[in-house]
Amino acid sequence: MPFERVLMRHVGVPNSTSLAVYKADDGYAGAARALKMTPDDLVEFVKKANLRGRGGAGFPAGVKWTFLPKDRTVTYLCVNADESEPPTFCNRVLIDSDPHMLLEGVLIAAYATRTTVAYIYMRGEFCAQFHILQRALDEAYAAGYFGRNILGSGYSLECYIHRGAGAYVCGEETGLIESLEGKRGWPRIKPPFPAIEGLFRKPTVVNNVETLACLPHILTRGVDWWLSIGTANSKGPKMYCISGPVNRPGCYEAPLGLSCRELIYGADFGGGMCDGKKVKAVFPGGLSMGALRGDMFPKPPDGKVDPRQDHDELDCILDFDDVRKYDLLGLGTAAAVVIPEDADLRDTLLNVTRFYSQESCGQCTQCREGTAWMQKIAERIRAGAGRPVDLDIIVEATRNMGMMPGLSICGLPDGAAWPIRTLIQKFRREFEQRIAAQAPGAAESLIRRTNAAAYELPVLHGRAVQPVGGTYATPVDVAPPP
Amino acid sequence: MPKIIIDGQTVECRSGIPVLQAALEAGLAVPHYCYHPGLSVVASCRLCLMEMKMRDPKTGQMDWAPKLFPSCQTPVRDGLEVRFCSDPVRDNQQHVMEYYLLNHPLDCPVCDKAGECYLQDYTEASGPATSRMVEDKTKNPKKDIGPHTLLYQDRCVLCSRCVRFCDEITGSGELAVVGRGSRCEIDVLPGQPLQNPLQGNVVDLCPVGALLDKDFLFKQRVWLLRSARSVSPADSRGQTIWIDYNEAGIHRIRPRYNEKVNEWWITDEARFGWKHVHRRDRLRQPRIRQGTALQPARWEELPALLRTWFSQPSPTVPNPIAAILSPMLTCEEAWLLAKFARSLAPQATLVLGHVPTVGQDQTYPKGFTIKAEKCPNRRGVETILQHLGGPTASFQEFLGQAVEGRFRAAYVTGGYPNAWVMDPIATALAKIPFLVVHDLFPSALDAVAAVQIPGSAWAEREGTFMNCDGLLQPFERALPPLEGVKADGQFFSELLGQPGLFRARTVRETMAAELPQFSEVFIPRDLPKHAH
Repeated sequence: MPFERVLMRHVGVPNSTSLAVYKADDGYAGAARALKMTPDDLVEFVKKANLRGRGGAGFPAGVKWTFLPKDRTVTYLCVNADESEPPTFCNRVLIDSDPHMLLEGVLIAAYATRTTVAYIYMRGEFCAQFHILQRALDEAYAAGYFGRNILGSGYSLECYIHRGAGAYVCGEETGLIESLEGKRGWPRIKPPFPAIEGLFRKPTVVNNVETLACLPHILTRGVDWWLSIGTANSKGPKMYCISGPVNRPGCYEAPLGLSCRELIYGADFGGGMCDGKKVKAVFPGGLSMGALRGDMFPKPPDGKVDPRQDHDELDCILDFDDVRKYDLLGLGTAAAVVIPEDADLRDTLLNVTRFYSQESCGQCTQCREGTAWMQKIAERIRAGAGRPVDLDIIVEATRNMGMMPGLSICGLPDGAAWPIRTLIQKFRREFEQRIAAQAPGAAESLIRRTNAAAYELPVLHGRAVQPVGGTYATPVDVAPPP
Repeated sequence: MPKIIIDGQTVECRSGIPVLQAALEAGLAVPHYCYHPGLSVVASCRLCLMEMKMRDPKTGQMDWAPKLFPSCQTPVRDGLEVRFCSDPVRDNQQHVMEYYLLNHPLDCPVCDKAGECYLQDYTEASGPATSRMVEDKTKNPKKDIGPHTLLYQDRCVLCSRCVRFCDEITGSGELAVVGRGSRCEIDVLPGQPLQNPLQGNVVDLCPVGALLDKDFLFKQRVWLLRSARSVSPADSRGQTIWIDYNEAGIHRIRPRYNEKVNEWWITDEARFGWKHVHRRDRLRQPRIRQGTALQPARWEELPALLRTWFSQPSPTVPNPIAAILSPMLTCEEAWLLAKFARSLAPQATLVLGHVPTVGQDQTYPKGFTIKAEKCPNRRGVETILQHLGGPTASFQEFLGQAVEGRFRAAYVTGGYPNAWVMDPIATALAKIPFLVVHDLFPSALDAVAAVQIPGSAWAEREGTFMNCDGLLQPFERALPPLEGVKADGQFFSELLGQPGLFRARTVRETMAAELPQFSEVFIPRDLPKHAH
């Protein structure tokens, strides 16, 4: 049975943002069905479908809703439409083509969580999308899908669209909440988690656009339909993005479990590389999830996955589980960006480090200073003045940031550490070759020019210029410069 | 009282406090920047991280969790086991300290904070010896953010204490963090400088040399200063302070933690209210009127002269003697002076001196109050007057009676930092034939005083002030009195004919025999050694 697109069914359909077109295709039937259930039954229903969040972490949405305290009086639903992960644009496509699908999902999720006010936090750069969604929302209000006594069920829901100011960190759920409250978008310390104390210090659910857009289909087509799509632990359709020098860059819908190779080379997806080039690297899940080696490298002889070996890793299945075997942080947003064989990875490294250094919110020291330092090192390597030890320092810095070792408030530094570390580790040979090919003494002379103190101070004996990688413990005796 | 285990040692701690506070109170040197017990917890400096034992979900055993936890954000609970002495914790401290110094200009030789800077201390204790960054440093700007404060952003560690202080304690919210990542800066809005009556506290709060007091800028190296425990005379609340001084005089005033009064903060009035101590025109010599002019006299002449005047009964007026006890006097001094007056003239009128007030009491969101009454010891003097009984009068009544010429001799004490002798006061006091004026500065009374005695400022005295809530707080002497000046208490005790040096404590003990309120003084807790 060929896969039937649901999330992207209206892409290319004329006038698809209107309520009439959406309703003609069973629009708001899922919501009508949901409103006939009790909220608790609805939560159980979604839990049964094992709908895992599409925002990146893959946490089951139904389970998230059960964390809300039982005796709450006010609940807020925040929709995370702050899609700012580099190469990701699936929410944009979704809102562009089918805004009512999102709104219906909002209605269902709000009813399940007994929310009376929902906020859609939209990325500031989404200008056209804001107007599309606002028009759709006005239409839905007029048709009685929002406001008082929705479809005669006695349930009332207000929905507002809030536009961010263009900060990556506001896509983190507590950063989003702070920003929505009108404050600086600094992620909050947890606990308390948003489910207990979120927006305006009230229980809050934060869900991704794509997660909510799945809800109407689960309700109209049933859990069995949903569970028939995808792999063992990752169910349902997913929107995959592909960008870079492929023949057909864009956003494609497929069942969860597409392989990375299929995404790049499949005729229905990326359609192969431009000019028949080979793939050097690919960031398969949005930048933050890390890098895979491309088919420029030989296939693993025994078929075993070992991220330490320089082998082709394109067979990675893009679902919530398989990616971890390849030393990736997770599925992320399933938006792949391809680096071709003739690219200079020093550019890539600079691009990645610059992004996180620009977007670090500045709260936690390791992230604030570490990302900026890595950017400076990457700039120097790019300028042809790298040292092999710089690679060690970068790897060490990436190991000293992030929420997983408990060193930061939010997950941004994890997302910064992963692509930078995997890039250096998986492609270390290329970086070392580039550094070896530099002009002799390039690093020393550049350092001397930009930061004379680091070079000249007698106490350092040139130690700073040629330090031991990754450790403070054993300073080596380097002869003072003549 | 929950018991927690820190580094293998059981520590009993107050409930509801974070582990960091418990560790500091137990005397541990845990590095931290953003945590301050008086402000909300943001857990952003990531320096106080610790290891914690948690139940392993697989085995069900308690074991060290594979990640670190911010100790400032983890509340204590009974049986909690944490450790700071472990490799991952030290490793993290080392990394964070390296990060803090990446873009720091290392300009300690010209930094006011050097010597009491927690970047220095923590780098020395747990940081790496050299930086591995060879790139150019990010140079953040230096800014003038208010009438009293400079911000050297290049030294800032972004602990956001100052921002939280302005948001939470003063509620004025002048400061904010602007920018992202390592380009983050503390800043004020254009045209809205940091200007509130508690602004000086942000400088004390700053753990590094980023926020600087213009008043203290480049004045002294802090290791050349000594500190005296004092109580501010700026208002009637009795804020406890440290006077930082050396042989050249007072250099600055810092808050001294006081759980009952001012907690960690002081008002700017208290902070900058020491300038009068070093005014050039302080009185420096006792003078006695001879003819129309006041002529210099020796201290030894005074007791006999005063005794003669104050003990002569008047044939016409029943109670011709008055002693005006200024609310700037300490309790001990007021006691001695009152005793002196009553010993010579048992029916002498005792008067509480002029009580200066400015505006209304101001209360801030978290309860910090600035009193309108700008003197430290009204309550103490009142307590003494009440106890001694006999004829008393309010200052206004006294002035009224003085105008009528009821008094033949009066001992007026001043000691106010600002001019206090207004026209009505001067006219009334002019009617007193033998007027003794004991004050800090020249005033309109110079023309009418029979005897002028130079006073000593509060920093040159010791004693106790009773604050507006009846709290008796002792303070130490920071400076010696000016050359040629006797401290007030010493002079009063000589007037009473007591031998030897004036010791506030001894006087207080005698007072306590009659007045139980003076048997106990309140001394605030010291902050833990490693807290800041």
